[in-house]
Amino acid sequence: MPLQPWMKLLSVDDHLIEPPRLWSDRLPANLKEAGPRIIEQSRGEDVAPAEVWIYEGRIYPYIGLNAVAGKKPEEFGLEPTRYDEMIPGCYDPKARLRDMDLDGVWGGLSFPSFPRFAGTVFIEGEDKELARLCVLAWNDFVLDEWCATAPGRLIPLIILPLWDVQACVAEIHRTAAKGAKAISFPENPVPLGLPSFHTDHWDPVFSAAEETGMPLCLHFGTSGSAPKTAPEAPFAVTIALFGCNSMYATADLLFSPVFHRHPKLKVGLSEGGIGWLPYLLERIDGTWERHRFYQNVNQDVRPSELFYRHMHGCFIDDRFGVKARHDIGVDHITWECDYPHSDSYWPKSRAYAAEVLADVPDDEVHKIVELNTRRLYNLPA
Amino acid sequence: MSPRPESERSDWTDLDLLTREEASGRLRAEIAEIEPRLAAAESAERELLETRLRALREAVDELAGS
Repeated sequence: MPLQPWMKLLSVDDHLIEPPRLWSDRLPANLKEAGPRIIEQSRGEDVAPAEVWIYEGRIYPYIGLNAVAGKKPEEFGLEPTRYDEMIPGCYDPKARLRDMDLDGVWGGLSFPSFPRFAGTVFIEGEDKELARLCVLAWNDFVLDEWCATAPGRLIPLIILPLWDVQACVAEIHRTAAKGAKAISFPENPVPLGLPSFHTDHWDPVFSAAEETGMPLCLHFGTSGSAPKTAPEAPFAVTIALFGCNSMYATADLLFSPVFHRHPKLKVGLSEGGIGWLPYLLERIDGTWERHRFYQNVNQDVRPSELFYRHMHGCFIDDRFGVKARHDIGVDHITWECDYPHSDSYWPKSRAYAAEVLADVPDDEVHKIVELNTRRLYNLPA
Repeated sequence: MSPRPESERSDWTDLDLLTREEASGRLRAEIAEIEPRLAAAESAERELLETRLRALREAVDELAGS
């Protein structure tokens, strides 16, 4: 059995739902009213009211999408919900640990929910000082409360005040000093109204990431732009193509100046799968071979070399990717669980990983499920 | 107060959470899968299975009661 009992599964992509008082417990008194807080909203007679986030007067109705008891998958849709309709492991770190134990998972890194995976909801904030403090509050919750429940098992990932580069730099250094291990960053800042990877705008942020040894985690969807072929196309088309966002991010970064200017910067592609990587790297290298001469791209380093210096992918159930692991590079593959989303295999994540990795030698399995993640995120054994 | 969010953009609209019902169902399925293995298990494995069964049953009870 290649997945040995002593190997500790580390998931690089889990999620948490923010508890209702995350911001009201941390914001200054004069900002609590405008900051994110939970209010009740009627769902009609004989139904408990929904609990929704309100932030600067705007309602954000989905605290935990589809966490509604008694619904069949075919009835899932976008609608409000309540904390008592979720499993407690969504928002309670002790319950999370119990669920991780049931799942055979040792450690996990959780992305935000209400702030969106890279904290981009705060770009919409009208009061930018409030927005900055909201970012700090989320990071403090993660560092002081969520991950402090089980240091070494709950891995701290932070978000940034993306509209202010100097504030980003300050937050990276502040949180690194408190033990942060990773930075959630948009897979493409442009659809969010922010400068691209092809400018020098982000250089101070990426330098701070290098200085603190924290990788950037690019979760698919964090650009706010989803693959969509037609207004009337079923959402299944978008879901099936979500990995394309990670392909876009890979090509974008490899043809950008980012890695040339930041030789120590590391990037983890979150939830994008891995099976597509050999094809894309071949395609990118071929493009570079033929078309670099008349374009503003680096003329000296093959893009695939940059990938192997800087980037990592991850998978839940990419069996083709596991077969193609030597074309991808075993050292560049990490594993994810995606708890508490319903596409996770909880409470059988370990058993499922063992099945998917059954034909892989022990040493490679150990790299994929644990060692590569420890190296990328600076997690001591 | 606006009745709808200013922005409907979300990066997780396809990523529904496990419901309590779905989580309980998965736990019960795992219990049903392990129980028949107990009789045939040797003592070391049996101990592991019993520990897991206990934890799974507690989790089902907690989901039902909390």
